[in-house]
Amino acid sequence: MQIGCVQLLDFRNYRTLSYRPSGRLNLLTGRNAQGKTNALEAVGVLLTGRSFRTTRLAELPHWGAEAAVLTGELQRSEGTRAIRRVLQRRENGTWQASGESCPWARVIAFGWQDLAIVHGGPSARRAFIDGCAARLYPSHLPALLRYRRLLEQRNRMLQTRASAERLAPWDEQVATVGMEMIDRRRRAVAALHAELTRVYPAVSGEPQKVQIGYRSVVGEATEPAALVAALEQARPVELRRGQTLVGPHRDDLAIELDGVDARAFGSRGQQRLLALALRLAEVLPVTEAAGTAPVLLLDDALSELDPGVRDNALREIQAAEQVFLTSPEPLVVSGAARWVVEGGGIAAA
Amino acid sequence: MTYYPEPVARLIEALQRLPGIGPKTAQRLTFFLLKRPADEVRELADSLVAVKERIVSCSTCFNVTDQDPCRICADPARDTALLCVVEEPNDLLAMERTGEYKGRYHVLLGALSPLEGIGPDDIKVRELLQRLDAGGPTEVILATNPNVEGEATALYLARLLRPLGVRITRIARGLPVGGDLEYADQVTLSKALEGRREIV
Ligand SMILES: Nc1ncnc2c1ncn2[C@@H]1O[C@H](COP(=O)(O)OP(=O)(O)O)[C@@H](O)[C@H]1O
Ligand SMILES: [Mg+2]
Ligand SMILES: [Zn+2]
Repeated sequence: MQIGCVQLLDFRNYRTLSYRPSGRLNLLTGRNAQGKTNALEAVGVLLTGRSFRTTRLAELPHWGAEAAVLTGELQRSEGTRAIRRVLQRRENGTWQASGESCPWARVIAFGWQDLAIVHGGPSARRAFIDGCAARLYPSHLPALLRYRRLLEQRNRMLQTRASAERLAPWDEQVATVGMEMIDRRRRAVAALHAELTRVYPAVSGEPQKVQIGYRSVVGEATEPAALVAALEQARPVELRRGQTLVGPHRDDLAIELDGVDARAFGSRGQQRLLALALRLAEVLPVTEAAGTAPVLLLDDALSELDPGVRDNALREIQAAEQVFLTSPEPLVVSGAARWVVEGGGIAAA
Repeated sequence: MTYYPEPVARLIEALQRLPGIGPKTAQRLTFFLLKRPADEVRELADSLVAVKERIVSCSTCFNVTDQDPCRICADPARDTALLCVVEEPNDLLAMERTGEYKGRYHVLLGALSPLEGIGPDDIKVRELLQRLDAGGPTEVILATNPNVEGEATALYLARLLRPLGVRITRIARGLPVGGDLEYADQVTLSKALEGRREIV
């Protein structure tokens, strides 16, 4: 799929913008703080209703504006479709995004925050795999929200030192919804792993063995009963701490290079490369699942990479369909559309 | 702060206490009402008072009613072997609109929710047990909402009722995840009722 045109009204530092990107690689360059990342973020919000760099909608409208409006046109081989997203302040002061998501629209974004997938804590890796699973399996996001609510309810039960009998209806649900989540995450990891073993060496230029695996409290078990058993075992500690201590919200990914934990491995450049490869590894499985290629938003994805690696990465990126790639300094790539971003405007270079 | 004559301010205040109504909406409604004919406004005021004065809870099923027992509990044509458990009177209405269900109801007036401090003693669970003890129903259909609170309530009741030897079913999840029964359309709900499954 491609986004044919984008119109913005009061989004971040864009007051009004009308932009017709190329359907293939778009290079956005410009000085710092001119709106490069904001432009990528706008495309993501338009397509998905969510920002890849913040969960706070209130940050997105232009300061002091009552609303932000994003519109555009999506194209795929079967036809085009208009999309529209409005961010508005509710009566209670919170912000709300309205507008329908197109069922086949997918966005894969890479930003500096993604370094945390490689060297950060487990929560960054869980967020990564949940995002990936949500793009592959539409039921993952509702299950995630349901699970979050279940944990809140169950934690409150634990804090009141409820009996096993009163906990049972919550345990049972945590186990079924939790096991569904674990199953989808495992399938997402398997799909990623297959592509990662191709993408990573292709970009690094070295025949390194890269591995990604799912690490769960239930081990390899696939039945909710395993999670029920784990909860039962953890119950005395859980009651003491008033918190659910086992389940997919405590699981992690193991990412290894040549058998060594990636967290302990290599330079910042190598970690950036691995984080980028993880995002690029998603392209093929997501294309298959959605029936059309995702839009890639790559924010400053090539900095801190060696020149040879950069070229390899560019080759891999160009194999995707529509890509938005920002860079602080001009890049020369044949066949790419070049844009200059300045003071909340985008002009052809 | 804008100045309003006292009666206007009072109505805005009162309307704001309703769920889903913020200050702006309350203002809009107030000024809308100010422009309407007196008869129409009196009719609204009267019906507000009337629901409070004339509507009671059915002492058997806890549905809202203007007579006790309610019309459904008093109707000899309804099948006493079937008992459908719902959270709120609204959910009962949604079931009735399907036209498929001919049994009776039990309205819990809530669902289990630790976050809101609602446990089994805060909803009509004891009353449900008493009804079942008294005999009659051979099947209990758990039609609580498909959200986590409704599901927890169904699971809790299923365990609680198991020793009584009645058949316990849960309406099927054709319902939108996280959705409320009240908003489910009639077709979805009839299908859910048809496809109910044994829960224990
Ligand atoms: N809600 C907002 N309203 C107006 N300006 C904003 C808003 N959020 C961020 N900005 C401005 O946007 C600029 C940063 O844009 P960004 O896209 O991150 O820059 P870069 O081109 O370096 O990627 C900063 O000048 C910042 O002050
Ligand atoms: Mg930037
Ligand atoms: Zn009744």
